[in-house]
Amino acid sequence: MKIKLKYIITTAAFIGIALLILLAKAISNSDLISSDSFRILLGLNIIFICSLIILIAVQIFRLLQSIKKEITGSRLTLRLVLSFALMGIVPVLIVYLVSVNFLTKSIESWFDVKVESALEGGLTLGQKTIDILMSDIELKGKSIAYSIGNAEPDQRNNILTDLRAKFGIQDAVIFDQDSLIIEVSSEKNNLIPPIPNIEDLERGGRDFFGRIEEANGEQIYLKAFTPIISKNVMSKKLILQLTQPIPASIANLALSVESVYSEYQQLTYSRNSLKIIYILTLTLVLLLALLSSVAASFVISRKFSSPLAMLADATKEISKGNYKKIISEQGKDEIGVLIRSFNSMTSQLEEATKNSEKDRERLELARIFLETILAHLTTGVIVIDEKKIIRLNNVSASKMLQNKESKMNGKLMSKVILKNKIFEPLYEFINTYIVDNKKNKKEISQEFKLNKNNQERTIMLQITPLSDKKNKSYVLVIDDISEVTKAQRHSAWGEIARRLAHEIKNPLTPIQLSAERIQHKFSNKLSKEDSIILERSTNTIVNQVNALKIMVNEFAEYARPPKIQKDTIRIDSLVDEVIELYEIDKIIKIKKDKNIPIIYADQNKLRQVIINLIENSQDALKAIKKPKIKIIIKKKINEVELIVEDNGIGIPDEIIGRIFEPYVTSKKTGTGLGLAIVHKIIEEHNGKIKIERINNSGTRVIIKLKSGKK
Amino acid sequence: MMVYFMHFFKKFSVILIVVSISLLIIDRFSYSEENEILIKDVVINDKENLKYINFNQEISLDHLITKAINKGIPLVFKVTVKIVEIKDIWLTKTVLKKVGYYQIEYKALRKVYKIKDVNGNKYEYRYIDEAIQKISKVEDLEFSFINKNKNKNYELWLNVNLERKKLPKPLQVNYFDRTWNVKSNKSINKL
Repeated sequence: MKIKLKYIITTAAFIGIALLILLAKAISNSDLISSDSFRILLGLNIIFICSLIILIAVQIFRLLQSIKKEITGSRLTLRLVLSFALMGIVPVLIVYLVSVNFLTKSIESWFDVKVESALEGGLTLGQKTIDILMSDIELKGKSIAYSIGNAEPDQRNNILTDLRAKFGIQDAVIFDQDSLIIEVSSEKNNLIPPIPNIEDLERGGRDFFGRIEEANGEQIYLKAFTPIISKNVMSKKLILQLTQPIPASIANLALSVESVYSEYQQLTYSRNSLKIIYILTLTLVLLLALLSSVAASFVISRKFSSPLAMLADATKEISKGNYKKIISEQGKDEIGVLIRSFNSMTSQLEEATKNSEKDRERLELARIFLETILAHLTTGVIVIDEKKIIRLNNVSASKMLQNKESKMNGKLMSKVILKNKIFEPLYEFINTYIVDNKKNKKEISQEFKLNKNNQERTIMLQITPLSDKKNKSYVLVIDDISEVTKAQRHSAWGEIARRLAHEIKNPLTPIQLSAERIQHKFSNKLSKEDSIILERSTNTIVNQVNALKIMVNEFAEYARPPKIQKDTIRIDSLVDEVIELYEIDKIIKIKKDKNIPIIYADQNKLRQVIINLIENSQDALKAIKKPKIKIIIKKKINEVELIVEDNGIGIPDEIIGRIFEPYVTSKKTGTGLGLAIVHKIIEEHNGKIKIERINNSGTRVIIKLKSGKK
Repeated sequence: MMVYFMHFFKKFSVILIVVSISLLIIDRFSYSEENEILIKDVVINDKENLKYINFNQEISLDHLITKAINKGIPLVFKVTVKIVEIKDIWLTKTVLKKVGYYQIEYKALRKVYKIKDVNGNKYEYRYIDEAIQKISKVEDLEFSFINKNKNKNYELWLNVNLERKKLPKPLQVNYFDRTWNVKSNKSINKL
C-alpha cells in the first residue's frame, strides 16, 4: 500500500512537535532531566530525525530517478524543492547560530568572576571565623589541660567543671588512651558523651588537634583534643576533649555560604555540559525544523509542480494527437483556471479534430472509392499536368503501358511511355495535343494499332482537359479495344459463315444427286472413252460437293449460336479417351500431374478442341523426321492447364497474331476455321487460350480452364 | 521481502556506513582510559548465616574528576554484588543481587573530604589521597546467602561503578561526556 507523502509529513510534523514540547519541558524540569525519560526522549528525537533523514533521502533518490527517467515535472519539482528548502534553511540557520551564540554567552554570563570572588570571600570569612574560634578553644584547652595535669586526681573533676564553666565550653571530657572516660563536665547534665575514634585520640594524645563537625547539617561544633601532661610521670596518658558549638547565627551563615559556594562550583563545573545540552536541544530543534521544512518542501513542490507536469504531459499528448486528455481540476486558484481553460481548449480541439477527421474520412472514402473504381477499371486512366508529369494513374494504365511499377506518380510521361517504342505514336499524339491545343479545351480521341510480339493490339486513347483555375491537367483514358474489335470481327465472320452455309448448303445436295443421276443414266449409253470421262467428271463433282459440304458444315459449326451442355468432367480422362484414337501413330506423349481436379465443361466440345489441336499438330508434323506431340495437364490454383505442343513446322510470324481468326491458316488445304472454333469453345467456357512458337520450330497451345464444380 | 530489504540496504548502504563510522569516532573520542577501578583481594567471610565481602580497589581518577571533587561535587560509587548460578557456559541465573554505595564529598568550609562507606560509617580527611585510600578499601559488605544445594555451581560477581544518577543534573544528561563512565572490572569469585 502506497501512503501519500503528505500524510507521512503531516504525521511526522505532529510527532516532531510533540517530541519537541516534551524535550523543552524536560529541559525546564529538573526532575525530568535527571531521569531516564529524558534519555528516552532524546533517543526518540534522534530516531525521529534519522527517520526524517531517511524519508528525505528516499524522496531525493526518487526525484533523481524521475529526472533520470525524464519524467515530466521532475526537474521543476527539484527546483522548487531547492528553493523552498533554501527559503527554510537560511533563516532557520541564522536563528540557530544567533541562539547558540546567545545561549553560550548567557550561560557564560551566569558565572561572573565577581560572584565567584564574593562567594570565595564569604567562604574564606567563614573559615577564618572558625579558625579564630578554634584558636580560642585551643588556648582554653591547653589552659584546662595544664591545670588538670598539675592537680591531684580527686580534684580533676572540680577543676574541669570550674574551668569549663569559666571558659564557657559546652562539654569537656577526659579520656585515657584506651578511650575510657575519666572525667566529664557538661552544660547539659547526665550527658553521656560519644566516644571519639581511636585515630582522633591517638592524634590528640600527641599534640593539640582540633576538628570541626557538623550535626544534622545545621550546627557546627568545634572539637578539640589536647594532651594532659601529668606531673605524675607514671600515671596514664590523658586526653582532654572539648566540644564547643559555634554560635547558630555564624554557623548558619557559614553553612549557607558553603552550600551556595558548592552549588556555584558544581554549576561552574557543569557549564560545558549545560551548554552541550542546550545546544543539543537547539540542534535537535534546528534539525527537526530543517528536515521538516525540506520534507514539507517536497509536498509543496509536488503540489505546485504536479498540475504543471500534468499540463506538460497533456500538451505532449495533444501534440501526439490525443485530444481526449482531460486534467482533473485543481482548486480555484490561477492554476485551476489554467487547467479549466486547458480542458476547455482541449475539448474544442477534440471537437474540431473530430469534424476534421470526419471530413478527412469522407474525402478518404471518396478517394478510395475513386481508386477502387480506377483500379478495377480495365481502362487505363492517367492524369498528367502541363509539364507532362504523371499525377495519377491506375493499375490498368501501368499494365497497358507495360510498366512494371503500378504507381507512376511524379514521373515524366515521356519516360514511362517511351520505354517501349511501340507506344511512340501515343506519346507523339499526346505531346502534339498538349503543345498545339493549349487553349483548346475540347476532348479528343484516337485509335492506334500497335504490334507487339506479332500480336496486333488496338488501343483507343482519349484526352480530356481538366478545367482548373491554377493548374492545367489532362486525363488520358487508354482503352485496349483489341478484344472488342476481335469480337466484332468474329461476329461478322459468324454472320457471313451462317449466310454462306445457308446459301451454299441448299443447292449442294441437288448438284450431287444430279451428277450421280447423270452418271447413272448416261454411263451405259456412252462410248467407253466418254463413259470414263463422264465417270471422272461426275466423281469430281461429287467429291467437290462433299468437300463443299464439309466446308459448309465447318462454317455452320463456327456460326452456330453458343449452346453448350456443361457437366463435371475429368479432363485427364477425356484426354486419355481421345488419345486412344491416335494410338497407331505412337507419337503422342502425355504428362500429367497427380490429382487433376474436375472441371465443369461440355465434354463433347472439349473433345472437339483436343481433336482439333492434335490434328493441327499432325498436319504440322508431316514433313518432320521425328514427329512428337506432347500433351501436358497441370494442376494450378483454381485452374487446370492443358498444353498441346509439337515439334512441327510451326506458325509463321505474320499470322500468329491472328491465328484464331477464321480463314487464317498456314495450311494449303485447311479452311482456317479449326483454331477459330477451338478459340470460340474455350471462350464459351470462360477459359483462356494462348498460342506460341517453340524455338522457331514447333507450336505450343496453352489452354487454361477453371477447376471445380460450376 | 528479502529482495526488498536487500534493495533498501543497497540504496542506503552509504548512509549506514557513514552513520556507523561517525558513532565509532564519537565513541572513541568520548572514551577516557584514565578513570578505572580495579577490584582485587576479594575475601568473603562467613559469620553465622551471613557473608561479608572485603575487597580492595585501585582507583585511578583523572584530574577532571579530582577537580570535580574539589569543586564540591559529591561522587557516589555503587557496589553491585550478584550471586549467579552457572548453568552452562552461556546460561546463568541471578540468585541474589545486593547493592551498596560509598561516597566522597569535599566540604569547603571545613576543608575536609567526607567519606561515607558501604555500611554508612562516616569519616573525614584533610587530604584527598587519604580519602581515596579510605574508600579504596571496602569492608564487611553484608549479604545473606546459603548454598542449600551443594551440587549447584555458584559464583559471586562483583563490580563497582560511579553512580551517574547522583551527579549534578547537567553532568547526568551529557551523554557525550564519558569522563563519568567510571567502572571497575567484573570480579568473579567462586562460592
